[in-house]
Amino acid sequence: MWYKRTIPLLIVFVAGLLGFAHEYVPHPIAGRFREEVTTAFRIIGGFALFIGAYSLLHMHLTRIRRRQPGWAYSGFVFLGASVMIFLGMVLGTGPLVDPAPGELTAFQWGYDNVLVPCNATIFSLLAFFMASAAFRTFRVRNFSAALLLGAAVVVMFGRVPISELFGELLFGADGRQVFPKASQILMDYPNLAAKRGILLGVSLGAIAQSLRVLFGIERSYMGGGD
Amino acid sequence: MAIPQAELRRLAIAKHVIFVLVAAAVIVPFVAKVYQRDFKPTSYAEDLFQKVHNLDANTRVLISLDFDPGSEAELLPMGVAILRHCFQQRLIPVVMTNYPSGVDLARTIVEEAVAKSEVDYGRKLTSGRDYAYLGFRPGGVNLVLNMGENLKGAFQTDYYGKPTEDMPALVGVQSLKDLKLVIDITSSAWVELWIVYGADRFGFEYGAGVTAVMGPDMYPFLQSGQVIGLLDGLRGAADYELLLQRTEVGKLDKTGRGILGMTAQSAAHVLVIVLVLAANARFIFRRATGREKG
Repeated sequence: MWYKRTIPLLIVFVAGLLGFAHEYVPHPIAGRFREEVTTAFRIIGGFALFIGAYSLLHMHLTRIRRRQPGWAYSGFVFLGASVMIFLGMVLGTGPLVDPAPGELTAFQWGYDNVLVPCNATIFSLLAFFMASAAFRTFRVRNFSAALLLGAAVVVMFGRVPISELFGELLFGADGRQVFPKASQILMDYPNLAAKRGILLGVSLGAIAQSLRVLFGIERSYMGGGD
Repeated sequence: MAIPQAELRRLAIAKHVIFVLVAAAVIVPFVAKVYQRDFKPTSYAEDLFQKVHNLDANTRVLISLDFDPGSEAELLPMGVAILRHCFQQRLIPVVMTNYPSGVDLARTIVEEAVAKSEVDYGRKLTSGRDYAYLGFRPGGVNLVLNMGENLKGAFQTDYYGKPTEDMPALVGVQSLKDLKLVIDITSSAWVELWIVYGADRFGFEYGAGVTAVMGPDMYPFLQSGQVIGLLDGLRGAADYELLLQRTEVGKLDKTGRGILGMTAQSAAHVLVIVLVLAANARFIFRRATGREKG
């Protein structure tokens, strides 16, 4: 059906071509076009926040309704959202009202004293799991694993200041930079080469995928497969 | 291959012991107040520091704080240190965030840096004149492109609701093209986005501060010159604090959060290295004696 397939493909082709072409037109009209288009995208992006909030609350509401394992945790999503919405919209202390510099609103207090510690705590748990996982699973079963272990130890040690004290202890005052330098060499050469290779591969893939979408070869975004 | 019950029990005990050791390694240096300050900052941190240090007074520097509280421990000290450096050099930082969940965190960073700088440098800093906090606007990449055409159109008011049109802190800044330096402190792919959609298009110099886990990804951009300096994890923040302190001997407090965290980080890294080496020594011994396969 042409209106389900041809028209969307045409819109994508024309929009993609315009998005590409205006970069090469050094005329004020091209600049204004870019400004208008990016403003329109930003307005659409604003609506995405509402869709995101709706999607999150809908998912947790479904969990509660179906009494899925851990459904009580979903209750906290509603509790947290309700409290912050109350502070922000009903009491009028949130981002909808302009605060004065240095003023601590109830909304800001909730953010500083609930969200920030909770998020920071979750992130800090990584240190414990990484240490435990490294101890339990990192084994030199072959030459490659031995190389990886050697590099990891050098980089980990060279990145922290105590390596300078060890260097001085082992090699004298001139040896303070031995471990940091060894770590930096690994980062500057083997790491850089590997990262650049990955980056080039990903970028070429992105260009190829964009061209496939632009010319209608890739149509999975329309739904229903190819 | 099923793991024997005895081995599972041993691993479970080891896990709990490791958790206690990591907690001790991280907490004890703070309690005992053992701080190491005699280390050499990395060259990439020094590059960024020197770039900021050599800007003329009243130069506008855009600082994008693109992270949320999950990365606060690593990135907040960077933000505070760079802002304090800007105030020290009488630059005018223009701060924004691309994270809706980071709006209030960015505000905390700005206000903490302002409060400390007022004490350290003995001058009253006024929002809209000595600095600007623009807050968050949706759009991501499109916001950056929009700012490249019309920065004041993209942010018609600052976070505090003041119009940006006649704001003294933004005099002479119509778009990103009018900025000499942009610094992004982030825990996500914003570095690549700022390079592709900002620095490469609009011609400003670009420095970055990232979490340690992202640091290795930045090296291709450092070598190509697309990133002129890098703060890498908490160590990057400590490096910047140290460099800042060296310019203000006796004036600044010597306990920036980055430097405070270095002893704990040293202890944690050494602990992980010792654990991994010990586990491997045991593994190699058991394999040599035929008690383990692999």
